[in-house]
Amino acid sequence: MTSKIINMAERLKDDEDRLLESLFASAPIADDGFSTMIEKRVRRQLWLRRMVLPVAALVGAIISFKPLAGLVTMLAGLTTLIPQDVLKVPSDVVPQLPMLFMGAMLLAMCMLGLRALQE
Amino acid sequence: MREDHELVSRAVSLQDAAAFGELVRRHQSHVRNFLRKLSGDFTAADDLAQDCFMHAWDKLHTYSGRGSFIGWLLKVAYTTFLQSKRKSKRYAEILEQVGHVTEAESRTHAMQADEVTDLDRFLAVLSEEERAVMVMSYACGLSHREISEATAMPVGTVKSVIFRGKEKIRTNFDIKDHQHG
Repeated sequence: MTSKIINMAERLKDDEDRLLESLFASAPIADDGFSTMIEKRVRRQLWLRRMVLPVAALVGAIISFKPLAGLVTMLAGLTTLIPQDVLKVPSDVVPQLPMLFMGAMLLAMCMLGLRALQE
Repeated sequence: MREDHELVSRAVSLQDAAAFGELVRRHQSHVRNFLRKLSGDFTAADDLAQDCFMHAWDKLHTYSGRGSFIGWLLKVAYTTFLQSKRKSKRYAEILEQVGHVTEAESRTHAMQADEVTDLDRFLAVLSEEERAVMVMSYACGLSHREISEATAMPVGTVKSVIFRGKEKIRTNFDIKDHQHG
């Protein structure tokens, strides 16, 4: 008797659930270019991500070109002093460091900026 | 035809947009239907669906492969919906402070008044949480465990939310008289 009641209760519950399923059911939504649009956005995002590093590197290189060129010239001048003054760093190199630091900071800011644009 | 898991691993490991596109094609209807039922606004729901799929693309590597992909996707959709709701609530509060009602808002209300279906009436008596759980269960066919994962609720809570939702629908409507819609 008890099992009959339980079975009936389960059947009732199932009927109600089936009814709710039919009430909540809705026709499938046609794609209508939706997935293509998402795919395009994903491709664009991928392209941007691939471009971030080279572009940032290029910008950084342009910014740091002058101080780097100065440093290279300085180092080239140093080679004439080797081996006598090999361990000595000329004081002229030190002023280039803030420029290099600024270049690195700008590179990082460019990367962050591009990331923000991409978002 | 490739399985969802295969497409996910291709999309993650090879950054394959086409594989992800195929996943979108397969599941867009479920996600858009879910968001339409939650928000009650078709246009906003489709915008949210776009955001949801872009979030899914960003977070695809976090899909562990346990449970169905659609369950995971609906979790992303639900989170996107809640985030947007929070944002628009903040925006509405600001507008309220300056005494504005947006044109989009008034248009939405007008549309909602025009196109009220039986299902909209059922959903209207449910709380937001109940609505999400009921839609996941009855419209998307997710198991209690999957709903629990999607909503971050314990399985027991999911069951009681469904029970409460059904109780509300039962007390407010004679559901046997209604046809689906």
